[in-house]
Amino acid sequence: MTKNPPLMETQALCKSYWNEDLETPVLFDINLKIEKGEFVSIMGPSGSGKSTLMHILGFLDDFSSGTYLFQGKPVLKMDDDTLARIRATRVSFVFQAFNLLPRTTVLQNVMLPLLYHPTIATSEREQRALQAVETVGLTDRKDYLSNQLSGGQKQRVAIARALVTEPEVIFADEPTGNLDSKSGAQVMKALQDLHESGHTIILVTHEQATAEHAERIIRLRDGRIQSDDKDFKRRNVKASDILHI
Amino acid sequence: MRITDTFASAFRAVNSNKSRSLLTMLGIIIGVGSVVLMTGIGKSMEGLILSQISILGPRAMVIFPGSGPESGPSGVQAGFDSLTFDDFEALHRLRTIDTLAGSIQLPGRVSFGREEFEGAAFGTMPEYFHIQNVNIDRGRFIDQSDQEAGRFVALIGPDVARELFLDQDPLGQRIHLADRAFTVIGVFEPVGTVFFSNFDENIFVPLSTARSITGKNYLDIINMNSVVDPALAIADIESFLRQRHAITDPENDDFTVRSSGQAEEILGTVSLSLTLFITTIASISLVVGGIGIMNIMLVAVTERTREIGLRKAIGARRRDILIQFLIEAVVLTLIGGLIGLALGIGLAFITAMIVQQFLDTYQFGVSALAIVVALLMAAGTGLLFGIYPAKRAAALSPMEALRYE
Repeated sequence: MTKNPPLMETQALCKSYWNEDLETPVLFDINLKIEKGEFVSIMGPSGSGKSTLMHILGFLDDFSSGTYLFQGKPVLKMDDDTLARIRATRVSFVFQAFNLLPRTTVLQNVMLPLLYHPTIATSEREQRALQAVETVGLTDRKDYLSNQLSGGQKQRVAIARALVTEPEVIFADEPTGNLDSKSGAQVMKALQDLHESGHTIILVTHEQATAEHAERIIRLRDGRIQSDDKDFKRRNVKASDILHI
Repeated sequence: MRITDTFASAFRAVNSNKSRSLLTMLGIIIGVGSVVLMTGIGKSMEGLILSQISILGPRAMVIFPGSGPESGPSGVQAGFDSLTFDDFEALHRLRTIDTLAGSIQLPGRVSFGREEFEGAAFGTMPEYFHIQNVNIDRGRFIDQSDQEAGRFVALIGPDVARELFLDQDPLGQRIHLADRAFTVIGVFEPVGTVFFSNFDENIFVPLSTARSITGKNYLDIINMNSVVDPALAIADIESFLRQRHAITDPENDDFTVRSSGQAEEILGTVSLSLTLFITTIASISLVVGGIGIMNIMLVAVTERTREIGLRKAIGARRRDILIQFLIEAVVLTLIGGLIGLALGIGLAFITAMIVQQFLDTYQFGVSALAIVVALLMAAGTGLLFGIYPAKRAAALSPMEALRYE
């Protein structure tokens, strides 16, 4: 019996952006392993490459050199359709800028990933979307247009959209960055709950306090891993932090 | 992604971005609408011009005195006495023409009681009505016995009847023309405008009567039909009359022969330039509409590129994106094209209604070719500028598309 490969593994991963002939290196020699069910924070100051690393791990961006294995399979060899299928079924995202479809209802936004899901039946879509909306506590707003919501509500819609396909990994890129502290606490609570129910969560943030909601903190500085730490006092969102409106 | 989902997504996108959809459609509506309207008007104008001669039939011919480019077929040349009654009789010998009718012009002022009307009056022969395809509405034509007896009878046009008699029956009434009294024996059916003059304002009396009033021993116009190729008949008449008038140099001709075929050619050239002019304007409006479509599509690219990035981030394949945008563009151009088509046809119809108040031979018309070309152009522009940016955006990695500014 061979041991199961890690969920995500990178070896000597590098990434540069090219602007015409000018190379801007962002990530150097990233080696890391993330196991199924972990809650990992990727932390670092602005420009450290933390978002880029998350986008590569989440199949949103390509890398320049090195190896990235997802469930033991090399990502470099995957074609467009395979990548699309992984994005549709295995991973999902919560963005700092929410990226909801404007002038579209909450429910429609949450249902959007199901349109591209290869196996979830059409008849199940609405039920699943309603359940996801309920999980983030927005059932009473399900028919609102996305542009009628507050920032915190938008981010909860984005979380509902991220969990509606029940992916293995949820990536969250500064999910509390545009929110006040109360809305931020609600979002972190939602992420911790998802982790409790078995999801792998990868959180990108520049705030120590937000990062400490995870079990493991990877610190990046100038495109390199500075530390990989599990030894800290973990924060839990308290009920008193979240007063539902 | 299932095809029904793709359709649903496309319709939802069209619906949730109403202003963008409307602006895109507006470009198409204006482009298609103006092309359809203008080519429709052009076609009606062309029809109007050609209807001026079509009533005559291709074999109709005319000889009038005088020559030179200024002697158009509509202007009967008063004061020219070169076409004599002897010429007219002699022309009957030509085998290239038949059904001859000579006419003399009379002063056009006509009155009944205190009603007066300024029309156009001619003394003519029964054959004339045959050549001009005139039909009788009430009463009868001027016939051979009127002609032989030199009776003071008149056949009047429907416009004359309406102006002089209003609701009364004109038949048997006595009207005054050239200081003489004539009995109305008939009213002919409306003909409309022929060579841009209103035929329905005409009054006809027997040629012999007109001759005795005016004392003219020459004719102002001779109408006839050719029995051979009109060009051949023209040549035949010209050489015959030159011989009779002892003319050696055609420059000195004291008569002019025209056929309706010739006139048709001239008017055909006029209407061709008209069509070219209209087509030019229509092309310009199509380009303007196209630029409108292009602008709004390109302006929407930033927002749409992010949307494409998002859709890719949650699992859309490249072809899912392309099909969605293709359907969106098809839906927009189709709806816009149909609205533009309806609008163009509607406006052309209204224009026809209005113009008919002044020119009753103006007919509503649309150009099928223009409709097809306009729809294809508008749809082409819509598809090109709807799909091309989407195709480029779909080829980006999701993050590149999401970051697009």
